[in-house]
Amino acid sequence: MKKTGKSTFFIVTILILLFTITSVLGVDKLYADRTDTYVKGVDDIRLGIDIKGGVDVTFAPAGDYDANTDQLDAATAIIKTRLTSLGITDNEVYSDEKSDRIIVRFPWQVGESDFNPEAAVKELGEMAELTFRKGTDSDTDEDGNIIPTGELVLKGDDVASAQAQYIPDENGEYEYVVALELNSEGSSKFAEATGELAGSSTPISIWMDNTMISAPTVKNTITGGRATISGSFDQDSAKRLADQINSGALPFKMETKSFKTISPTMGEGSLDAILLAAAIAFVFIAIYMMILYRLPGFVAVIALIGQIAGSLAAITGWFSFMNGSTLTIPGIAGIILAVGMGVDANIITGERIKEEIKTGKSLDAAIKIAYKRAFSAILDGNITNVIIAVILMGAFGVPDSFFSKILNKTIFFAFGATAEGVVYSFGFTLLVGVVCNFIFGVFASRLMVTSLSKFKCFRNRKLYGGDEK
Amino acid sequence: MSKKTTQNTATLPEKVYNFCSKKKMILGVLIAVFVIFIAGIVIRGVHLAIEFKGGTLITYSYQGELDSNDVKSTVEGIINDSVLIRTGENLDAGGKQITISFTSEEGLTADRQVELTNALNEKYAENELEIYDSNDVSPSSGREMLLKCFIAVLFAAFVVIIYIAIRFTNIGGWSAGVCSVFALCFDILVALTATIEFGFEFNSNIVAVVLTILGYSINNTIVIYDRIRENRKLMPKASLNELINVSCTQSLTRSIRTSITTIGTMLIVTIVVFVKGYDSLLSFSVPLMFGLISGTFSSLFVAPVTWSWWKGKQKAKK
Repeated sequence: MKKTGKSTFFIVTILILLFTITSVLGVDKLYADRTDTYVKGVDDIRLGIDIKGGVDVTFAPAGDYDANTDQLDAATAIIKTRLTSLGITDNEVYSDEKSDRIIVRFPWQVGESDFNPEAAVKELGEMAELTFRKGTDSDTDEDGNIIPTGELVLKGDDVASAQAQYIPDENGEYEYVVALELNSEGSSKFAEATGELAGSSTPISIWMDNTMISAPTVKNTITGGRATISGSFDQDSAKRLADQINSGALPFKMETKSFKTISPTMGEGSLDAILLAAAIAFVFIAIYMMILYRLPGFVAVIALIGQIAGSLAAITGWFSFMNGSTLTIPGIAGIILAVGMGVDANIITGERIKEEIKTGKSLDAAIKIAYKRAFSAILDGNITNVIIAVILMGAFGVPDSFFSKILNKTIFFAFGATAEGVVYSFGFTLLVGVVCNFIFGVFASRLMVTSLSKFKCFRNRKLYGGDEK
Repeated sequence: MSKKTTQNTATLPEKVYNFCSKKKMILGVLIAVFVIFIAGIVIRGVHLAIEFKGGTLITYSYQGELDSNDVKSTVEGIINDSVLIRTGENLDAGGKQITISFTSEEGLTADRQVELTNALNEKYAENELEIYDSNDVSPSSGREMLLKCFIAVLFAAFVVIIYIAIRFTNIGGWSAGVCSVFALCFDILVALTATIEFGFEFNSNIVAVVLTILGYSINNTIVIYDRIRENRKLMPKASLNELINVSCTQSLTRSIRTSITTIGTMLIVTIVVFVKGYDSLLSFSVPLMFGLISGTFSSLFVAPVTWSWWKGKQKAKK
């Protein structure tokens, strides 16, 4: 072990306190009217819909229709476009090819009492109406909706397929385009319209429902039913437009397989209750630890504060290398379990220090051996929890996350992705909490106790649970 | 994995409790819990929440007076199926609520929910019905969710057995791993029994409970095993029963103290939640509390003693 000096305690404590303060309060800078958030604090935590309220809905094709990947991508594109046009920008959309499911989650828009989740969800699942129109003219009806008014050129079912392609342009430079293939009826209608508009500045606009998704100008008359839309596309935007156009030709309607709306008032009340209970429990644990283990108990309380701050930091996205997560009620259960493991680690060590001191060892030797011996139990107990957390994150994570990719192709091959965010959230907070337990409950607390034991005033064996000497 | 350090002889506790002699008591507890569990299923029944069994539950908040029988017949008229109606007051929202549950096997798609809400709003315009929350799950996805949770727990248990088998080879890992999972099953059974006896629904909270117990129970057992592993090195000649008795006695203080913090925390959560009126969280905190109590008992008694019994049988065969 490296030499641990007297100053180590203060350095570790200050680091933990700094970390705790920044992860709770966050770091922002106020520029006149604008706040730049460098580090997100507790206020920026994204609460799960079970706390904040919101909508959780799973769509699948109506009936037993088996959709292929392209069709599912197209359906996902419709849902995303519609969410945006409904003004719901804070949303999560996952699709799973195996079970043909699309999972949509969005928080309740606070303050929108007239927001009607049922109607919104109904609209999300409807078949998209795709139209190609001359010009970009539109009108606003009495409800404030924008209605396209340009003369109709093509409808969704005139399009056979749309595809993103990477092809050379006339100068030989490669660019992304969207290639359209029309059926015979569509071809003749399109030839007529493009003949009329070729060379003019009037574009042909493409609408999904009442949202204009593109408005390319016409270079030449297009006959033969093949057209390309070029412009400043990159790979993603070309694919998105192709998906959106394809969605107009979907042969199925999306139906809700499960549909949950949770009111925000129900959730926020229960969050307050849990926070209150957590605060009381923490005070109780702090007093209990200090009475039982005195000096190591006091150190344990500092370590626990660090551990809880670590869990919060992981959820807010304090660490730049990992994304934040949403906090749900089972997520809080995961934090509680991890803190319980942290208390346990400190109790195991505290007991060990007592035991070793009672065998008559010197204080320094007792502390050193106690941490060493306690570690194997703490290690195995915590590693098993890491195993459990990783399995849960894999089984219930979003379909394209790392752990899910491994597990869903093997153990859970028979199941579609459910993205039961609630169980995932438990695994996430448990995993983070266990890692923090190693950092704070084992490493930092050993440094602090060893350092404190160097002070003359803290060399009384009674402070460590030993008999007076 | 303690390396040889300054002192290498075991220091025995002043008084060693004989845990291994409690076989009959342990068997008695196991049987008693099992009987209570079965009796609970028979008498109180298992209430699966709609997350698992599928179905629809819609809660509206309303103003003024509503005749629930009238609402029942109206709703049944719209969807052509029998429904259950429950009215109640909500503490946090401060209003009256009416909950409609649909017993049919088929879910109610969003289309039909819109239809229903519109019809009710037309008929009871002065009550200002508003959706408070709704939950609709098709029976197939409910069953799938339940099965997936089950397989996830099973798989986690399997990996944990392998891990214990590897890390505890010097005390015969496989059997120790299996016994730790046996103790875990007992703890889960206790939590499920508590859920049934208190009449809670099996909803997503029970998933969180089982997962928490999974982590806690295995951790508890491992702490005891770790002591046995360490003592095996210090007392190479001792019999297995002696080892278990010494190790459990040494870990006893730690077990009790850790349990006081965890069980105490859950007790605080239960009281706060109960006082504040968020009954929905009770189905999380109460079964978990029972599972934690059982976890303390099973890590000291069920896991090591079953294991010693198993090892004893093995020896007798040879």
